[in-house]
Amino acid sequence: MLNEIVLRLSDLAATLFPLDCMEPEFMRRAMLGLLLIAPLAALSGVQVVNSRMSFFSDAIGHSAFAGVALGLILSLPPEFTMPALALAIGLLIMYLRRGSRLSTDTVIGIIFSAVVAFGLAIVSRNREASRGVNMFLYGDILTIGDNEIALLACLLVAFLTFQFFAWNRMLHISVNEQIAGVHRIKVSVYQYLFAALLSLVVILCVRAVGVLLVTAILIVPAATARNLARNSRQLFFLSLVFSYVSCAGGLLVSAQQWANVPAGAAIVLLACAMFAVSFVAARLKSK
Amino acid sequence: MTIPAETAAAPADAVRFEHVGLTLGENRILDDVCARVPRGKFTAIVGPNGAGKTTLTLAVLGQIKHTGRILFPGLDEAGRRPRFGFVPQRLVFDRDIPMTVMDYLLSGLQRMPLFLGHSKRHAERIMQYLDEVECTRLADHAFGALSGGEIQRVLLAQAMLQEPDILILDEPTSGVDFKGGQICCELLRRVREKRGFTQIMISHDLATVTAHADHVICLNHTVFGEGEPRVALTHQVLSETFGLHLGLPDLHGIPQDVRECPEDCPLRAEHLHLHDHCHIDGAAHGCACGHDHAHDHGTEAGHAE
Repeated sequence: MLNEIVLRLSDLAATLFPLDCMEPEFMRRAMLGLLLIAPLAALSGVQVVNSRMSFFSDAIGHSAFAGVALGLILSLPPEFTMPALALAIGLLIMYLRRGSRLSTDTVIGIIFSAVVAFGLAIVSRNREASRGVNMFLYGDILTIGDNEIALLACLLVAFLTFQFFAWNRMLHISVNEQIAGVHRIKVSVYQYLFAALLSLVVILCVRAVGVLLVTAILIVPAATARNLARNSRQLFFLSLVFSYVSCAGGLLVSAQQWANVPAGAAIVLLACAMFAVSFVAARLKSK
Repeated sequence: MTIPAETAAAPADAVRFEHVGLTLGENRILDDVCARVPRGKFTAIVGPNGAGKTTLTLAVLGQIKHTGRILFPGLDEAGRRPRFGFVPQRLVFDRDIPMTVMDYLLSGLQRMPLFLGHSKRHAERIMQYLDEVECTRLADHAFGALSGGEIQRVLLAQAMLQEPDILILDEPTSGVDFKGGQICCELLRRVREKRGFTQIMISHDLATVTAHADHVICLNHTVFGEGEPRVALTHQVLSETFGLHLGLPDLHGIPQDVRECPEDCPLRAEHLHLHDHCHIDGAAHGCACGHDHAHDHGTEAGHAE
């Protein structure tokens, strides 16, 4: 049933790009996965940049190892333990950030190192798992499974619903939390919900581009959009456009004979190239 | 400290502080603060840096835990919290976020996400308030590109959009030039008279306070005096609040008339000097020169700081 739906949808995704390289099923499936990831990355990226949370998302990405390790210890599938641990860590960081007098950087830095060390310690004891570590470091969108695609689709629905109700308030909070709080916006509710959703987005994006590049696919399209947008509406749509172009374009480039590079690297390189152009364009315009 | 007798007249007050205390770590920030804020008037909170002025306003806003009680007569009985408007001291924010002034003001009001467009109803209301702070021309400007004074005005409009019972301003004119400060106070008076809210403003500028405030609270961890500025801002209260008594001779020690000071008095020069400059309620200190010191009060009180 699920397999059927994914197959249909991936064919649909492929029809958008009538190219030879889209023939194999794994390419169609990868394209479908990326088309789901693009809006998640773009919109959470906007808020990550506005709220200066890129270190937060980096820490969540690096918890992937610990998630796998936890799966080994508890004999649970990593598909379950990774998102669960990411969620727990995201909420914990938000709690410590809000409640303690430690700086956000310090809080994240400590948790970051703890989860990475824990992950490495456990995973390196297990030969089989340590071979799989490469997959998390560099990502592998070409082997994405039906379950993961279904999970991405569910997350996208939840995430878009959140954005529909929270886009304005998140903007307001990112300018000044105190004013927002006094003016009767429930700052903590928005922040916890966002931390939870962001953690899930990051950990699922690790699948596509790997731990090392996951923050990039969030913040680069958003930063590119910031260079060119003049208002909140343009920011929303431009970040989506740049994210879609880099995700789809990156996959297509990676599949070309002459390129022969992993999809994750191609996606991020394309996104960074667009950023460079937008940066120069913005500079020229402001002169 | 006992609660002043006039606090008994409850309905006239918008806020009443009853023995408010607050300790952060080992620092006693607020100690047995008792004071009142008259309804519909402009109350200024003055005191040196680190006196707990901002903390006291945060306590009013319910943003920080404290001991003692902060009462809102009239609203407490109805079981409702007052609606607050808040303008912070200086807005530090990411000036590169792409958004117009209208985007920012709408983001706190509108339900429909901004990427789907602006709500006409809210946008019209915002323009009305921007007009009151004389900033309609800024509506489509980038919020991050505004000057400090313009941002304060936009934040004032935003605070008033809340239709507050109590408007709290934390040194809104610091970083704005003197003229900007005067304009800000004039503007606030006009809007306050029109809308009838209670205004609490932290200020370090005694001249502005004396000229514009109806009520003043002198705070340095605890309350050293409160009341109508011309009456409450005595030299003694100011010295206690700002701790100036360490460096200045006691004004009460000045002879009734410097001419009474014997020629060989070692302090004669200082007495003369003080007499020339003592504009702080000179009459109350028994100055016999016949000059109307109270008249100078408004313009020269800042001198005591």
